[in-house]
Amino acid sequence: MLRSPDYYAILGVLRDASQEEIRRAYLDAARRLHPDKNKAPGETEIFLEVQQAYEVLSNPKQRKTYDASLPAKREEQPSYPIFHQISFSRALLVRLKEPQLIYVLLDVRARKTDAPPPAPPLNICLVLDRSTSMKDAKMDLLKAAAIQFLREMRPEDVFSVVSFSDRAEVVIPASYQKDRHKLEAQIRDIQASGATELFQGLECGLNEVRRSLGSRYVNHLILLTDGHTYGDEQACLDLAQQAGEQGMGISVMGIGTDWNDIFLDQVASRTGNTSRYIARPQDIQKFLTEKFHELTRVLAEEITLEFAPSPGVELNYAFRLQPEAGPLSFGAPMHLGPVLWDTHLSVLFEFLIQPSAIGAGGLCFLEGDLKITMAARPAPLPPIRIHFEREVADTPDPTPPPSAILQALSRLTLYRMQEKARAEMGAGEVEKATLSLKNLAVHLLSQGHQELAKTVMLEAENIQHKRSISLEGEKEIKYATRALLMNQGDRVE
Amino acid sequence: MITCLNCRHKNPAGAIFCAECGAQLNAAEIITQSIRTDKALESVSQNVRKLDFPKAISDNAWGSLHLIDTGQILPLVERNEFTLGRISEGQPIMPDLDLSPYQAYASGVSRLHALLKRDGKRVILMDLGSSNGTYVNGKRLTANVERLLSHGDVVSLGKFKIQVLIK
Repeated sequence: MLRSPDYYAILGVLRDASQEEIRRAYLDAARRLHPDKNKAPGETEIFLEVQQAYEVLSNPKQRKTYDASLPAKREEQPSYPIFHQISFSRALLVRLKEPQLIYVLLDVRARKTDAPPPAPPLNICLVLDRSTSMKDAKMDLLKAAAIQFLREMRPEDVFSVVSFSDRAEVVIPASYQKDRHKLEAQIRDIQASGATELFQGLECGLNEVRRSLGSRYVNHLILLTDGHTYGDEQACLDLAQQAGEQGMGISVMGIGTDWNDIFLDQVASRTGNTSRYIARPQDIQKFLTEKFHELTRVLAEEITLEFAPSPGVELNYAFRLQPEAGPLSFGAPMHLGPVLWDTHLSVLFEFLIQPSAIGAGGLCFLEGDLKITMAARPAPLPPIRIHFEREVADTPDPTPPPSAILQALSRLTLYRMQEKARAEMGAGEVEKATLSLKNLAVHLLSQGHQELAKTVMLEAENIQHKRSISLEGEKEIKYATRALLMNQGDRVE
Repeated sequence: MITCLNCRHKNPAGAIFCAECGAQLNAAEIITQSIRTDKALESVSQNVRKLDFPKAISDNAWGSLHLIDTGQILPLVERNEFTLGRISEGQPIMPDLDLSPYQAYASGVSRLHALLKRDGKRVILMDLGSSNGTYVNGKRLTANVERLLSHGDVVSLGKFKIQVLIK
């Protein structure tokens, strides 16, 4: 029997999509699949289907006729490779005259399969800081790590290397790796000198990724740096924003203590990624290898959330617990991060709900679409529509929060206390910062993290005596409290 | 509004951890029981006879804790630092020395009450911001300030009395 093509599936939209959503889905698909850009076999045919689907669905009359020809509406198809779960800190909202908080844990994971899916090919660029501060041993270790990374590349991977100081140069242009000896020599030839101008490196690196940008690959840039950039921060953030929109990820690895972790978290989070702290240059290679293995386990390259909170509802805080713990930036859409085939994506949201938001019935405090970009799969998936909603009662429900939320929050609280201490330090509130660190130390002790508690106490004393926190302690505490969040991650068997 | 019992910070309804000090909120049934310690402690130090250091466990322990109410002796071995408190179900807090089998809850011991450590020959106690306080020979300690202990000192975690025996 001849089945008419499912135009909604082809465009990756829901049956009740608005004209605007259909138009946007079409433009997205066109950008990815345009015959001028994609030479992979089969993609031109897919593009023609998309074209046809758009012609029908964008015309209200034709769409109506087409809709009438469809079988009865089906719910999410069982073949959908990804599903999600939502849990709330409370079963009920309460009718109150004051604002109230509610926590939501969103979990997106792969449907179980018998065998791991084939590892997606990578399109990856290493962007290496070669400023003067990287000189000597540090530079040698960085180069050795980059060469080792190159050796990990499989024949189907596209690889490039960019180095930068106050200007950037392409060391290895994006290509499949044929003559590895020559490429290794090119990496060895990188010399350290000059200042750190991040924008130069990022722009040059993204251009290399862009040359092979496509839905067949996991498209990713890894920035390795040890220094501060000055004056071009906003330009970097704009670049990252654009990269996120175009489906490129940016991960940052900061070496040593002198880099600006808060800024680079912002850069990475605009693509749903984060920064890592490499205290000792000897560990660069280990971190890069880890990243490589993570990227080859990617099932969905990125999940974004497009949403409109209800009036009187504020999203206070959003944090990704795994696969890689890190803060999220509040753009529209919000870039949540990747789903690995064996590791869920878990995001914890904190909402503040004003009394004005609560009416007579239940409250849907967020309505949005989870958009899924699958790795190595050219046809888009329809978005998943999600609702955060709760019944409203006059008296609170005594049920304690689900243990997953309680556990996650108890650790996230530690991370936020560290953020708080840093903010207080930044505002010159030395006493407050000292107290926050001492409180943090007590909680760390109580959860059995003796070593970290000691580091924190040491910094609290540092602040009292020198009125400043050591750069080393600051980063150690931040990334160690972050790592606590990741340890609890449960993997799909 | 939920007022944090630890630091008095006012958190919005629905908060689970205090935004100021990080303590867990809103768990009325699992919070440390609040008790009056002033009367109970007055006569503590006079009534307790000094014990000799118990022979049987003296080989590798640097000290031991004599639980006065129940008579048990807990050796301090293997590590130089112990957090004292009680494990409470559903809580992520894990003190090194769990006193919950010895009626610690009824005596007002916090989940994380005090830190006992050895520094060379010296033995040091520090209250960790407990609800009912830590006392040495009837004198209350300031939270987060270290206090040197001598052999035979009587330490009270709330009403929970321990004689510290130092080798």
